[in-house]
Amino acid sequence: MNNIENQRSRFIRPCTRVWIALLVLTGITYGIGRMELGGAQIVMLVLVITFIKGEMVAGFFMGLRKTSLLWRAIMASWLVIVGGGIAIAYLVGLK
Amino acid sequence: MQYQSQAVAKPYFIAAIGLFVGQILFGLIMGLQYVMGDFLFPAIPFNVARMVHTNLLIVWLLFGFMGAAYYIIPEETESELFSPKLALLMFWIFLVAGALTVVGYLLVPYAALAKMTFNDLWPTMGREFLEQPLPTKLGIVVVALAFLFNITMTILKGRKTSISLVLLMGLWGLAVFFLFSFYNPSNLVLDKYFWWWTVHLWVEGVWELILGALLAFVLIKVTGVDREIIEKWLYMIIAMTLITGIVGMGHHYFWIGTPEYWQWFGSVFSALEPIPFFMMTVFAFNMVNRRRREHPNKAATLWALGTGVMSFLGAGVWGFLHTLAPVNFYTHGTQITAAHGHMAFYGAYVMVVLTIISYAMPVMRGRAANSNKSQVLEMWSFWLMTVSIVFITLFLTAAGILQVWLQRVSTTPLGFMAAQDQITLFYWMREFTGLVFLTGLVLYIISFFVGGESKEAA
Amino acid sequence: MSTQSLTLDKHQPGTPPGDMAIWLFIYAELLAFGVFFLSYAFARAHNVELFNESQQHLNRESGAINTVVLITSSYFVVRAVAAIREGLSRQCAHWLSAAIGLGGVFLVIKLFEFHAKFSAGISLSTNTFYMFYLSLTIFHFMHVILGMVILAAVMLKARRGGYTAEHHTGVETGASYWHMVDLLWIILFPLVYVIR
Repeated sequence: MNNIENQRSRFIRPCTRVWIALLVLTGITYGIGRMELGGAQIVMLVLVITFIKGEMVAGFFMGLRKTSLLWRAIMASWLVIVGGGIAIAYLVGLK
Repeated sequence: MQYQSQAVAKPYFIAAIGLFVGQILFGLIMGLQYVMGDFLFPAIPFNVARMVHTNLLIVWLLFGFMGAAYYIIPEETESELFSPKLALLMFWIFLVAGALTVVGYLLVPYAALAKMTFNDLWPTMGREFLEQPLPTKLGIVVVALAFLFNITMTILKGRKTSISLVLLMGLWGLAVFFLFSFYNPSNLVLDKYFWWWTVHLWVEGVWELILGALLAFVLIKVTGVDREIIEKWLYMIIAMTLITGIVGMGHHYFWIGTPEYWQWFGSVFSALEPIPFFMMTVFAFNMVNRRRREHPNKAATLWALGTGVMSFLGAGVWGFLHTLAPVNFYTHGTQITAAHGHMAFYGAYVMVVLTIISYAMPVMRGRAANSNKSQVLEMWSFWLMTVSIVFITLFLTAAGILQVWLQRVSTTPLGFMAAQDQITLFYWMREFTGLVFLTGLVLYIISFFVGGESKEAA
Repeated sequence: MSTQSLTLDKHQPGTPPGDMAIWLFIYAELLAFGVFFLSYAFARAHNVELFNESQQHLNRESGAINTVVLITSSYFVVRAVAAIREGLSRQCAHWLSAAIGLGGVFLVIKLFEFHAKFSAGISLSTNTFYMFYLSLTIFHFMHVILGMVILAAVMLKARRGGYTAEHHTGVETGASYWHMVDLLWIILFPLVYVIR
């Protein structure tokens, strides 16, 4: 039964915390949207939040944090490229 | 050969190769007409040569696919064909109808042919690839239905494998999309809109399923890798094909009067179309590297690997080159399209048919593989044809870039014919390379008649 | 006899949970959506005013609620995986049913949103923003449906006791795909509904 206790503390509890964190971060993103805030700093904040959320889902929910570097790197670079691209495009749009 | 009825594939393969020769000869005639406009005029005008060249290509590939299906399905389902007699009957109907059509193209002016074949009653002719007279089109439907009936019944009564199901899906898709050749709305945009569904939803969609299935079958045979692994790859490739190919077909809708969103859909999804082809390449090499037996038929393995590489280059890379709407704005309908067309058709569909022929023909002739001498000759033909198609593609790409520049980008643009005059050098080089291709094809045919010590059936 | 590396079936340490094949598929899907997201971002850069104006007509609340729904549904799938790792098939199936139910909630909310837009006469041809909004969300919508189908298949097998604490690759495979659907929405929501 040690095994089960182990997996509960190693898998379920961190994921529960991640779930709550995701809900809080979603709330922040929504708040920013509701106030219709814009501008470079705000958008960078939103993108950083999104990156963190993405990494949490990939690392904890999808279980990538326990895999080899290659797997984590593919996911992280996808998030960076997409997020970074969105940031660059936003800055281009500001002119 | 494990099942007697597999033998019906043989006439199909022989006819396919015969028509392949015809296709190449007409290609050479056209190639010369690019630089010597009145060559063979008025006996074979350029438009007729072009029609015969493209129609023969499609028809011989269909012969190849049907032969492949008749060969593969009994082995996959572990049962004899539902009706070998029907398969042979359809072969003759298809061959005679095809031959009559080509004779019609060559002997009668196209407009007269249209009149003779009741095009007035139901106009379907006059569109690229769909030039066939109404009776031929109906004949194709009859042959396709009988073929599908035969194959489907065989699968229903036998073992169901992923390969046979994917193949069946591809073949049904082929037949369904052909039906759009009967639909010819008078609105020009709608006409074009559905025109793309016949040949281009084949090559970017359902034919890729056929390609994947044939490749998977041959790889199982020559590498001995577990079927489970190969099937999993096949599924991934199919999924990616369907996700990217169906919507990616929108890259044909850029400048023909369709809504603007097609420029986005077409660009984004077709930019991803190289992925399944790339997976196909990785798949082929991976399986061969992890082979668990040394199959005596080295030539078939070479063709399989070649299919992986050349389909990715021709369909994937050369397609991507001009698929994005802002690029295609300049390149559509130029020699760049022709370059892509040649390498994609050769790399994907010609090569996969030659792969299955290379694997199956020796087996049907009672041996696991041909003699060394014959295989060496076949490999020579592989390299001659493949290298010359690469060069044809490169020359046409160069011609295309120059054409785009002279005709569409330059500040003092030339007219179409004036621009053509400037690129004749590339056309000459293409024509010469075409002769090398023909040499390769002749060697390929000779390799069937080279004797020597053959490998016994495994 | 098993072959090593890239066998696509045996689970090895260091590789992600689930079948290797689904991971190839997931990365290919991410690539497709990634290209789409960036196309949106750069199309917006050339047309900021239009995008900002049109964005105000979106229902941000339903977008946010749907984010919560998908995140929670993903969490339920995590619990399903945890359950089967302990060999608890029934619990696993229950968690999966809950996750599928939330997927259904997502679809219903989305349908209300689509209905409102379509009855306002908005279509793919209205403007570039709506072209992207509709095609991105519909494309994602179809992935939610596919994910639910996969989860349902896994759930039915789990209910029959088809998985054990030792052998449950199928559960992890379905879970990985569902998390990807969630991950995509986590990016899509701020990109389309919030950033201005």
